[in-house]
Amino acid sequence: MNGTLVMIGLRRGWTEHLQFLRNRREFAGGLIGTVGIFVLVARWQGGTDVPGTHASKAVLMAAGFIAFSVFSVALMGLPMMITTDREDGALLRLRTVPGGMPVYLVGRAVSVLGQIATYVALMLLAGVALTELTLPAAPGDWLTLLWVLGLGTLSVVPVGAALGTLLPGPRNAASILSLPMMGLMVVSGVMFPVTAMPEPVQWVAQAFPLYWQGLGLRSVFLPDSMLAAEIGGSWRPLETAAVLGAWAVAGLLVAPWLLRRAARRESGTRLAERQERRAAQGAF
Amino acid sequence: MDEPVISARDLRMRYGRTEVLRGVDLEVRAGEVVALLGPNGAGKTTTIEILEGFRRRSAGEVTVLGTDPGRGGDAWRGRLGVVLQNWQDHPRWGVRQLLAHVASFYRRPRDVDELLAVLGLTAQAGRMVAQLSGGQRRRLDVALGIVGRPEVLFLDEPTAGFDPEVRLEFHGLVERLSREEGMTILLTTHDLAEAERLAGRIAILVDGAVAVCGTPSGLAAVVRTRSEVRWAEDGALRSERTGDPSKLAYELHQRFGGPVPGLEIRRPSLEESYLDLVRGATARGAGDASGTPLAGEDGGLMERSAA
Repeated sequence: MNGTLVMIGLRRGWTEHLQFLRNRREFAGGLIGTVGIFVLVARWQGGTDVPGTHASKAVLMAAGFIAFSVFSVALMGLPMMITTDREDGALLRLRTVPGGMPVYLVGRAVSVLGQIATYVALMLLAGVALTELTLPAAPGDWLTLLWVLGLGTLSVVPVGAALGTLLPGPRNAASILSLPMMGLMVVSGVMFPVTAMPEPVQWVAQAFPLYWQGLGLRSVFLPDSMLAAEIGGSWRPLETAAVLGAWAVAGLLVAPWLLRRAARRESGTRLAERQERRAAQGAF
Repeated sequence: MDEPVISARDLRMRYGRTEVLRGVDLEVRAGEVVALLGPNGAGKTTTIEILEGFRRRSAGEVTVLGTDPGRGGDAWRGRLGVVLQNWQDHPRWGVRQLLAHVASFYRRPRDVDELLAVLGLTAQAGRMVAQLSGGQRRRLDVALGIVGRPEVLFLDEPTAGFDPEVRLEFHGLVERLSREEGMTILLTTHDLAEAERLAGRIAILVDGAVAVCGTPSGLAAVVRTRSEVRWAEDGALRSERTGDPSKLAYELHQRFGGPVPGLEIRRPSLEESYLDLVRGATARGAGDASGTPLAGEDGGLMERSAA
């Protein structure tokens, strides 16, 4: 990939990010799904401490919802973007252009990272404004914040891209993904400590990156007294890095192959078939 | 003579057990406008997608600009222009913004504003792509297809769903590209009149093979061989198809010893003969739809390019 293509890709991604910010319905919808729910839940039962600790429930939720923002942009938003690009022909358009695929990938990476950064910033802002969440003071905590957010993003973005190539269409993607997403949100310690769950559920939660990213963020924002409510009574940074890293590697191994395959399979005939099907669905 | 720009020999495509293309032969030379004409399902889009390198073929030899489309890299891709059906992409981009973005992929792109002016989209330059009408959207698709100064342009059903006025405008545009820039153009259509108007040569694709290929005037020559002569005899209407209606009429006059009652000689229009061809092939099913080159092909071509 040469430098010119990278530049075109960066510009493309930035253009699409601005389009996202200007699209009120999509941006507001995303905000309600993350910051909105957080504000509601934090108001409703955030005033107390996590049982058995001196850690604020509202701050626990703020950390959890930051992780959930990353998770939902990468695993809901990104697959929907990619299925939309397949359905409306954007992916095929870029196939007709020399160097279109690398530009597409760079562009999508930029727009997804832009969205993640936007939601994370807004969640942090809401956390600071509405709860006792404070931005870290120690450089070490900043460092933890950065690597947890970075590795957490890397653990889900390639997986989200892979999902986008496998799901049939944007509407189907939303309906197929939303239920498991909500389920993981409930069991992964976003709103209450995962130790409140039966042990088998805890194991399920620990298989997915959402729990680990939340844990890493709690280690930044919550006092060590919170450890009383964590599995093993520890922040487990090594395990966090290992699980997030494993997801990142798995995603990075599978996603490029799936993306190439999806692009290769696009053609005008497929485009027409899908649009006819969609029109038929719309008629009902 | 030069190497053809597009060449397909015995091109075959099979999906599972159905054979969509059963040996398509096609040659397009530099500067030609060729129409792939045929009913829906004849394999036009499949053929053009194989030539564009978007679909792998099952068998046959294919080259576009001297390269196998299945192995064409970015340099090859940059010499092609592609306008597909059903594009609804980049709805949130500005018209000029999208055209400039696509132009930035090419080394020697056209001037974006000039191109917008040529296609009558200057007034829409700042609009969102989603706000364009069907005809405007299609013109933008063409602009995106030619912004990189392609040597070959593929147009798949370019005027499907157009109202007559927009269609006419579009025909003018294709003619300009061919005349003024010498662009080689392969287009698919199921509209005979459109093929006749735009193309120097028409390849009629029926049942996954080229049934006939030639200049519009060459196709007309085929028509002449299938005239219908009708007359009344013994109180009944008789009719006969013949390649030499004049001779049959003469024989009839001799047989009747004078005027022939109800004599009528019909030379079917190009359209009728096209429909005949399509119907015949459909009835034959997997028949012997082998390519039949027509006489007068070169004459027609020269006539065309001199115009």
